[in-house]
Amino acid sequence: MSEIEKYIAPDTVSDAVKALSSGGVTILAGGTDLTPQVDAGRRSHAPTLMNIRRVDDLSGITQNKGETRIGCLTTVSEIKQSDLAPAILRQAADHFASEQIRNAATLGGNICNASPAGDMINPLLVLDASVELASWKEGAMEVRREPISRFFTGPGKTIKHDNELLIAVVFDTPGPDFVGYFRKSGPRPALEISTVSVGIGGDYKDGAFHNVRVAFGAVGPTPLRGKATEAMLEGQALTAEVIDKAARAAQDDATPIDDIRATSWYRTHLIAVFTEELLNNVCQN
Amino acid sequence: MSEQVAFQHIEKTSLIGTRIKKPDAPAKAIGKTRYINDMVLPQMLYGKILHAGRTHAEIVSIDTSEAEKLPGVHLVITAQDTPDLKLGFVKDNAPLKDKVRCERDEVAAVAAESEAIAAEALKLIKVTYKDLPPVYTIEDGLKDGAPVIQDRFPDNKSLSFKFTHGDMAAAEQKSDIILDDVFNVHYVTHCCMGTSCAIADFDHNGKLTIYSQTQYPYNYKMDLAPALGIDPGDIRVIQPPTGGSFGAKLDVYPFEPVAAILAQKTGRPVKILFDREEEFINSPTRQPARMHLRTGCTSDGILTFRAADVMMDNGAYTSWGPTVPVIMMRTVSGHYRVPVVDFKGQAVYTNNAYAGSFRGYGNVQMTYATAQHMDMLAEKLAKDHNLDPIEFRLKNAQKSGEVTPQKSFLRECALAECLTTAAEASDYVNKLNKYTAERAQEGRYKRGIGLASSIHNAGGAKIHKSDGCGTILKMDDYARVTVITGASEIGQGIDAVIAQIVAEELGVPTEHVNLVNNDSDLGPWDVGVHASRTTFIAGNGARRAAIKAKKQILAAASKQANVSADELDLRGGFVVQDKDGAVVTKLDKMLRQMHFQPEPDVVMVSDYYEPNSEPEGRDHISDHSAAYSHAVHIAEVLVDTYTGEVKVEKVTMAQDVGRVINRMGLEAQMEGGLAFGLGFALSEEMIFEEGRLKNPSFRDYKLPTAPDMPDLDIHFIESDCAEGPYGAKGIAELPTIVVAPAIANAVYNATGIRFFNPPMTPEKVARAIWEKKQV
Repeated sequence: MSEIEKYIAPDTVSDAVKALSSGGVTILAGGTDLTPQVDAGRRSHAPTLMNIRRVDDLSGITQNKGETRIGCLTTVSEIKQSDLAPAILRQAADHFASEQIRNAATLGGNICNASPAGDMINPLLVLDASVELASWKEGAMEVRREPISRFFTGPGKTIKHDNELLIAVVFDTPGPDFVGYFRKSGPRPALEISTVSVGIGGDYKDGAFHNVRVAFGAVGPTPLRGKATEAMLEGQALTAEVIDKAARAAQDDATPIDDIRATSWYRTHLIAVFTEELLNNVCQN
Repeated sequence: MSEQVAFQHIEKTSLIGTRIKKPDAPAKAIGKTRYINDMVLPQMLYGKILHAGRTHAEIVSIDTSEAEKLPGVHLVITAQDTPDLKLGFVKDNAPLKDKVRCERDEVAAVAAESEAIAAEALKLIKVTYKDLPPVYTIEDGLKDGAPVIQDRFPDNKSLSFKFTHGDMAAAEQKSDIILDDVFNVHYVTHCCMGTSCAIADFDHNGKLTIYSQTQYPYNYKMDLAPALGIDPGDIRVIQPPTGGSFGAKLDVYPFEPVAAILAQKTGRPVKILFDREEEFINSPTRQPARMHLRTGCTSDGILTFRAADVMMDNGAYTSWGPTVPVIMMRTVSGHYRVPVVDFKGQAVYTNNAYAGSFRGYGNVQMTYATAQHMDMLAEKLAKDHNLDPIEFRLKNAQKSGEVTPQKSFLRECALAECLTTAAEASDYVNKLNKYTAERAQEGRYKRGIGLASSIHNAGGAKIHKSDGCGTILKMDDYARVTVITGASEIGQGIDAVIAQIVAEELGVPTEHVNLVNNDSDLGPWDVGVHASRTTFIAGNGARRAAIKAKKQILAAASKQANVSADELDLRGGFVVQDKDGAVVTKLDKMLRQMHFQPEPDVVMVSDYYEPNSEPEGRDHISDHSAAYSHAVHIAEVLVDTYTGEVKVEKVTMAQDVGRVINRMGLEAQMEGGLAFGLGFALSEEMIFEEGRLKNPSFRDYKLPTAPDMPDLDIHFIESDCAEGPYGAKGIAELPTIVVAPAIANAVYNATGIRFFNPPMTPEKVARAIWEKKQV
């Protein structure tokens, strides 16, 4: 039994970050991962439970000077319904768990849970997003930005320090030529943990694909970018041959394992299927 | 008032076949229902069980001293505190174990002030085990010198079954086609939304009241008593609202006597409630089976024989699971005419999980095999002999009046009508041919259509000495009716059906019928909720009781109005003239007049209905049900041949229901039953590694969700069963039984691949398609 000794619910970001500086704090946002993980004995509460849901500044989507900013407390439902969220992010939100979980689960929580199968992470990799990490240093709040592609170090592990709070996700607002698609799979249409997920995005103009970014979920210890696939596609016209080569490259990028949800064979197979499917979507866009 | 109504005429109408709302539905919908899981009794303690978590081991020692010292702990018990207490079908199980035989084995139990304290106490119990060599497969269990699981069964052979009829050698000789295949049906579990729960409470006379989710309260006493060492007469069973049973609660399982022993020894009520992970690991499964099936047929499409050799992993203990051949040996043939039958069934002890009863009992497994063989024959006969696939089935379909080799008397058999109705409604043959042609063409997505059919008992199943149900009916001075029935309401809808039947007979609104049941001290005897029997048996009982009450009222009215009782009827809360509905008197007034007179005539009647079926007998060959029913499902699927995803788009269901009673309840049973079969076919699977369950959660055990449900086109075929209430038959299991092989046949139609080992998960389907392409 992990005992919670103290419960705090700060109103401001600085109070929240200040509370983290003393250590021994578990952060509660939507609770949709935290609660079942504690119940299952896979993680335990630190002595202080900090509910950050009362911090207003941490919620919502804004655009400013070509940058989109999504507060860490923004729920998956809010993203799904927002015109300011790029389509690829809304697609992932639409396939996320169930209505009830989407209403509670937050973007920051999904990122910090650092599951290789985290559905919201994949499109953020495609958008080349960065995360903002806030900490309390010498009487003031300090914020650092890190690209999300470098954020994850293993299943459930990130570069975020215990005294840091992930306060927002930022990315360049996609331009008019940007096209992005997300696809995940599992045996049933709802409430499904991804067997694999693939996201592809880039500027599709005059029949050629530029600034291509490809991301894979549930095929390695962290969500990952498909560098070989990106290199293969960069600047190319999406002919059947290129798409086929990209699908093979995607299989080289991914390093899936066998587990009870799928074999590595099936994951590798799906990577090619989805890569091809999404590139065909891009062509038809 | 009486002057006003004197001129009124009330037409004869009927409630039978109409839509009756389930009385408890609003309370359940708004969260007002207090389920057993929610119940708290004064001074109640919380029990928790320590499970072994290993599969085969000697228990060298158990030290409970630290757990006993934990504040809030009242009692810790082990097998030493419960000697000689037995349970299970062959009494090979015990509330607490002195040896570990499977992962779930109950080793110790705690009663404490709270669930959290009880959980903490379990961690303080120190058990020293000495692991024994395990057995995880049927083959290993049968090897010479295999580790012995149960001392009483040194060869690890558990139950066995055998049925032969006719000359097999001659039948094989006559056969132009012989199919020979092995089907492996996997582990699934009930996934009741309300997890397992029992609350036990002893009074000072040593009488136990147990709040239970059991489906069979009366025989439950008989099975629970030897697990407690008390007299069955000293047990009262109360069944509060429960979140599903589906066969999982048709036996006594260790948590129930453990709760009772803790209650007995502490003198306090004790509640044991599983969490979801405990539920997955510690509940019965559906019986898995390896079925070697052979079917013979002539070139003009006449079935010649069927042989089935069924091997079953018994797991470590014997509950209802390995008894499923009782039904398998009937349904292995039984709806298509098979003159020669050979059936063998053998269960083998292993250190795996053990199975119980589960909706469709044995027939889900058997029909998965037989309906695919029928489809394979139909395809071959169409191709080689130009025989229409429906014509082939109609040729062999049994008809009313036939008796199967297993002695099932098919009094009213509507299989042919089910076949033609479903085939026409779905345009089966045209689609079958179209999709077969499209199969060879390029394209990622393929459509398929598949047909399956089966037979199931539809008038109870006389597996006990009686298959009856008692009913007590009384009417008060306000014409309100109370029906005390032995039939339990566990969500299946007998509450609505009994109200409907009694209202029909007594001419009162359904809301004026109160049901009293789910308490063994109040209700007369009933077998229980199983075998698709409750509407048939308890419905007949309620009807017969209501008819007795009606006779009594009309006899009194006849005297008063000076007309023959035959000329009177009860309608709309009045006694009326039967011929024109002219009102004679108000029913409540009539009842008061009967009551308040020098020789009071109060309506209090009773009935015990015993169906005209035959007891199973030792060999299980008899006319064991008062009715049999058939169903045909036609599934239409869309297969993504790249990902292997199978979307069931539509299922056309035609089922012989005898007669529709509550249309709404019937539709709900069709839909709910189908959902079980859908999960079994496509996604549900308990994954075991070395006897341990690897996916004890809804994240990794894939129950179908609402978007998975196909469109349903339901056709009720009314064969008018002579013995059933108003002609009705039992209906609840066939929807689960028939759909999976219909889907498998549809997937074959779409892909050209047969799946003999369900579930047809996306990976399995994708892999099979990919491998076929490589050849």
